[in-house]
Amino acid sequence: MLLHLLNRSPQSPSVYRDLGEAFGAGDHLLLIEDACYAALPPSSAVLEPFAGRVSVLREDLISRGLAERVSPDIAVVDMNGFLALTETHERCVSWF
Amino acid sequence: MTTHPSFDIEPQDLLVVLRHPPHGTQWLREGLDVALVAAAFGQRVGLLFQGDGIFALLKDQQAGALGQKGTHSQIAMLEMYDIEALWVSEAALAERGLAREDLMLPTTSLNAEAVAKLLRCHPHTLIF
Amino acid sequence: MLNYALLVHAAPYSHQAALSALRFAETVVAGGHRLKTVFFYHDGVHNASALMAPPQDEVHLADGWKRLHDEHGAELLVCVAAGLRRGLLDAGEANRHGSASHSVEPPFELTGVGQLVDAMLTNDRLITFAP
Repeated sequence: MLLHLLNRSPQSPSVYRDLGEAFGAGDHLLLIEDACYAALPPSSAVLEPFAGRVSVLREDLISRGLAERVSPDIAVVDMNGFLALTETHERCVSWF
Repeated sequence: MTTHPSFDIEPQDLLVVLRHPPHGTQWLREGLDVALVAAAFGQRVGLLFQGDGIFALLKDQQAGALGQKGTHSQIAMLEMYDIEALWVSEAALAERGLAREDLMLPTTSLNAEAVAKLLRCHPHTLIF
Repeated sequence: MLNYALLVHAAPYSHQAALSALRFAETVVAGGHRLKTVFFYHDGVHNASALMAPPQDEVHLADGWKRLHDEHGAELLVCVAAGLRRGLLDAGEANRHGSASHSVEPPFELTGVGQLVDAMLTNDRLITFAP
């Protein structure tokens, strides 16, 4: 099981496409930095390949004014949650 | 184009994923440097060319303006470093209208399922 | 307890990823893990600049990394090939290249990419922060 970190907004569709190819069953995706914008409901199409296995970093949401706008099926985690995801997933790869 | 089924994958010690094209940024060059150094340190290294990273393998590349080196000379050195596990994303090739014959080196093309398997079966992966 | 290594590709004050790396590093040690190595590569080498002078009301990234070295023993490794190209030289390299001044000081160390490979192989986790 891999943890995938993503920091690009849906304005960069190619990184979502490459990540989609590489995302395996049981993997998890954590959205940080500008990837928080993918957590808005109108962007749900780009996250479809990862449905149910997506988290987003709370402090990056809050700083962007997105805290109340997150799709309900995306888990919100804080920095300790981020750390916990790296503990439970043996390997972590970053897409940018 | 033949898609090699996933059972053909022979995992290496390190997988380096290259997603950026040559010349425009330093990503490809510095990613290849890591691959070459890891190989020089005795690690078995495989490369996955994905997205615009496919263009790293395109024939007929040259040095750029002001002597910018490019990466084709690094690609040419892969064999000398025993880096022979070269995988390309079948989708990335198709999207760019390229075939494996357009590439400098022999590669194995992988469908999406095989790409996911590739990342899963490698103990270490770095993406550039 | 796990051993962590971080790979930082992002330049300071250009991209949030440099800050993301530092806050993750602080979370790692606060969480009871060991942060063994931070490897600065690509534009991330600029995090090692001894000459950075951010405004008082912004976090000082190089000082943040130094604190993780001083208080938690994290080694701060800067890729020498990526660094020299970008003007990141320690006193020894400055001398060797005939430069009047240098821009990297301990605890940041210039090292080869081999140290990144070593960090990857010897730590439980390698987390990358890129722009």
